[in-house]
Amino acid sequence: MARGGENRGRLLLIILIITSLFLITLDLRGVAVLGGLRSGTQSALTPVQSVGATILSPVRNFFVDVIYLGRTRSEMERLRVENGDLLTQLRERRSVDAQLEQLQGALDLAGKAEYKVVSARVISQGATTSFTQTITIDAGSRNGVKPNMTVINAYGLIGVVKTVYPGSALISLASDPSFRIGVRVAGTQQIGILSGQGTRKGVLQLLDNQSTINVGDILLARGSVNNQPFVPGVPVGEVTSVDNAAGAVTQTADVRFFASFSSIGVVSVVLAAPGVDPRDSLVPAKPQPTPVPTVTVFVTPSQSPSPNSTGTE
Amino acid sequence: MSIRKISLTASLFLFIFVLQEAVITQLRIAGGGFSLFLIFALLWSALSTPNLGALIGFTAGFLIDLSQSTSGAFGQWTLVMILAGFGISYLGLGYENVRLNPFTITFLVTAFVLLARVLYLLLSLLLGESVGSFTSIATSLLIGVLWSAAVVPIVMPIVARTYDFINDTRSRL
Repeated sequence: MARGGENRGRLLLIILIITSLFLITLDLRGVAVLGGLRSGTQSALTPVQSVGATILSPVRNFFVDVIYLGRTRSEMERLRVENGDLLTQLRERRSVDAQLEQLQGALDLAGKAEYKVVSARVISQGATTSFTQTITIDAGSRNGVKPNMTVINAYGLIGVVKTVYPGSALISLASDPSFRIGVRVAGTQQIGILSGQGTRKGVLQLLDNQSTINVGDILLARGSVNNQPFVPGVPVGEVTSVDNAAGAVTQTADVRFFASFSSIGVVSVVLAAPGVDPRDSLVPAKPQPTPVPTVTVFVTPSQSPSPNSTGTE
Repeated sequence: MSIRKISLTASLFLFIFVLQEAVITQLRIAGGGFSLFLIFALLWSALSTPNLGALIGFTAGFLIDLSQSTSGAFGQWTLVMILAGFGISYLGLGYENVRLNPFTITFLVTAFVLLARVLYLLLSLLLGESVGSFTSIATSLLIGVLWSAAVVPIVMPIVARTYDFINDTRSRL
């Protein structure tokens, strides 16, 4: 009996092996049934695999993170460094863009007045050891800069060259308390002296007691003999308030400089001015107010309640 | 073998097969990971008689051949698994301590995982299929062995208890 069972076992093994060899032969001969079986199985498994993929996504990511822990860490470190470099580049780019914009504005202004200018970058601002308001630019005598030359930027007057070195120059800002400039009210022939006050605000004193000045008037540089220290026609500032004190010999006014002295990046030194006074051609255009849409609301009055409906008897 | 046993065993094998195809293969474990289904089938065979082991090997191999991830000829894994199933169950019966010693059965299953893969590789070479470079094959085999050695002790108690539950036996694994 035991031998019979052993024989049946051998027979089973042989049958199974022959079956598998038969399957291999069929597959190698390209019988379509077997391919269909495999594709059918895959079709049945696909939905399960999709669900599995969705559920296992966090687990899979965890395994991948664990496996590539060292690589991920070094990758993060590399990306952090790269990010820092890019941020630095971006900040530098912003700074360069701002300087470019200022330079373009200054050149536009100089070009309009046909000034011959040399542009320079501000390399130092102010001095901690003194109370004067100055800036240092990276253009000096080698670039043709001389003392008492007018310095402008995109918005107008910045100051005047005070001291010149071979590669740099010290500029006295218009906001310096010791700064004085002869100005003219645009569109008129009224003249006055504008003094710096240490801030963006200056004080104007008219020279003629017959003339009047109004808020919003634009002041231009009157110009000096041989265009030094000031070339004519450079926009200086705008009148913000007028002092009409009784008993004063002449009118005084507060003036807001066009140039913001705290954010100067690039300036232009006027090396030479044309023989002709540009007059009012450099007066900045008035800002156009942004139109505010008007909403019209039509209200139809409702019918007033009749006395009867109020409950009166 | 009763219908209950056959249906329960078949359902279990199908479940493990789907688990392998839908879950294990998607984990992207290092070095290609492991085949839970292969380990499960060999463990089940190790607990069975040689005839049953061969039959289990045939069923398991047929299912592996059905998998889309199997690149070889249809029937190749069937043949390999018949031999592996028969072999492991034969050795399991031959050595009494295999049933008593978890370390022995871990070694046996791991060795048969390696053997089955090598046999499959040889068959592929005989059938003229491209199998890759020697380095990649050696690496894959080595990692497969390591994973199997790690996984077998974990799944062994579960498989043994399930086997006992279905076959109404009591193994001491």
